[in-house]
Amino acid sequence: MTSTTDISVENLLTDYQVANFVINGYHIVEPQFPADFHSKVYSELELLPMNPGDEINKVIPKIDQVYEHPAVIGALSSLLGRDYTRAAHRHCHKNHPGTRSQAWHQDSLNIPTLDEGHGRVSDHVQSVLVMYYPQYVGSNMGPTALIPGSHLFTAAADRNASHGNFRDQIVAVVPAGTVLILHYDIWHAGTANTSDQIRYMVKYLFERASESTEPTWNHDPDKDDHIFERLEHDEAALIQRSLVSKRNYRRTTMWNNLAGNAGLKYEYHDKWSGDWPQPNK
Amino acid sequence: MALKQRLLYLSAQSTDPRSLALSQALHEPVRDTIVEIDPMRTSLDYETVHDAVCDGWRVVHFPDQRGSLDGSDIEVFGYQFVLEKLDQFDD
Repeated sequence: MTSTTDISVENLLTDYQVANFVINGYHIVEPQFPADFHSKVYSELELLPMNPGDEINKVIPKIDQVYEHPAVIGALSSLLGRDYTRAAHRHCHKNHPGTRSQAWHQDSLNIPTLDEGHGRVSDHVQSVLVMYYPQYVGSNMGPTALIPGSHLFTAAADRNASHGNFRDQIVAVVPAGTVLILHYDIWHAGTANTSDQIRYMVKYLFERASESTEPTWNHDPDKDDHIFERLEHDEAALIQRSLVSKRNYRRTTMWNNLAGNAGLKYEYHDKWSGDWPQPNK
Repeated sequence: MALKQRLLYLSAQSTDPRSLALSQALHEPVRDTIVEIDPMRTSLDYETVHDAVCDGWRVVHFPDQRGSLDGSDIEVFGYQFVLEKLDQFDD
């Protein structure tokens, strides 16, 4: 659990950034460390004789410094509330040259160290995956692939197993030290490593401890109309039209769950009145 | 050489074969291959199912017009067409 003294206002997210997270399901932080910090973490990872599992932070304590960096704390506090907790589950992914790509998936819910009752939550941010890459990740090094906006949808992986490449997939080609915060339910996959380098990714989980009563980011209520517009109209990945209203409803509900008493107020307005369409030329 | 079936799964935005494809997976009839997510890919091979048909692919499965599982908690991305093309491959 974080202490409020660890959180500085300048590290909290903006309305724009929180809206981006609600719409796309991810946020990138690049915490600043001395130039050789991440290469030292990489070297220590290379020396590990076995996978320490949840104990990764005990065998390499430097990794905790990444997750306790003020920029990371600010982002997590913005998304999970200031009393967020760190789950006991941690994992270091070691992606060797020649590793093939994973299938698209949402991470398993069957993790005993997650709080009891954890489930898919398409209209809130209850848990996040936080991925730290101690080395530059090039496009041939098995970067993590994501489907933006897919955290708003729940489906058994076997029902979506035949997709392959998505038109709007994105891949985390990122500099060393990047921290990628993902909504727990986002569809993602590790891709093939066709380089000659090992690609490490360390993953921690963080969870919400209490419901929001007010925004825990740098919120400006004057931007509410603009935020509402974005939640209604911003595109993430292309989906079928019949899912758009469900997607928009979940976006707005997610924002309001994060904002507590400062949630968006929907007011009807006639958006159809105005000029007639112009004659076709 | 043998005539073998190439399979192309295209998920489209609607049941209309001219609607935009949102994903694709090409299964070549070659053992020990898998369909990998290509991190360098910036577009799909075909914009629509119709484009693929114009390129010689033949639809062998049309999406169920009952569509996605609307009203259910389970969602499936897009409407899936399965196409084939027969080509000569080494055994």
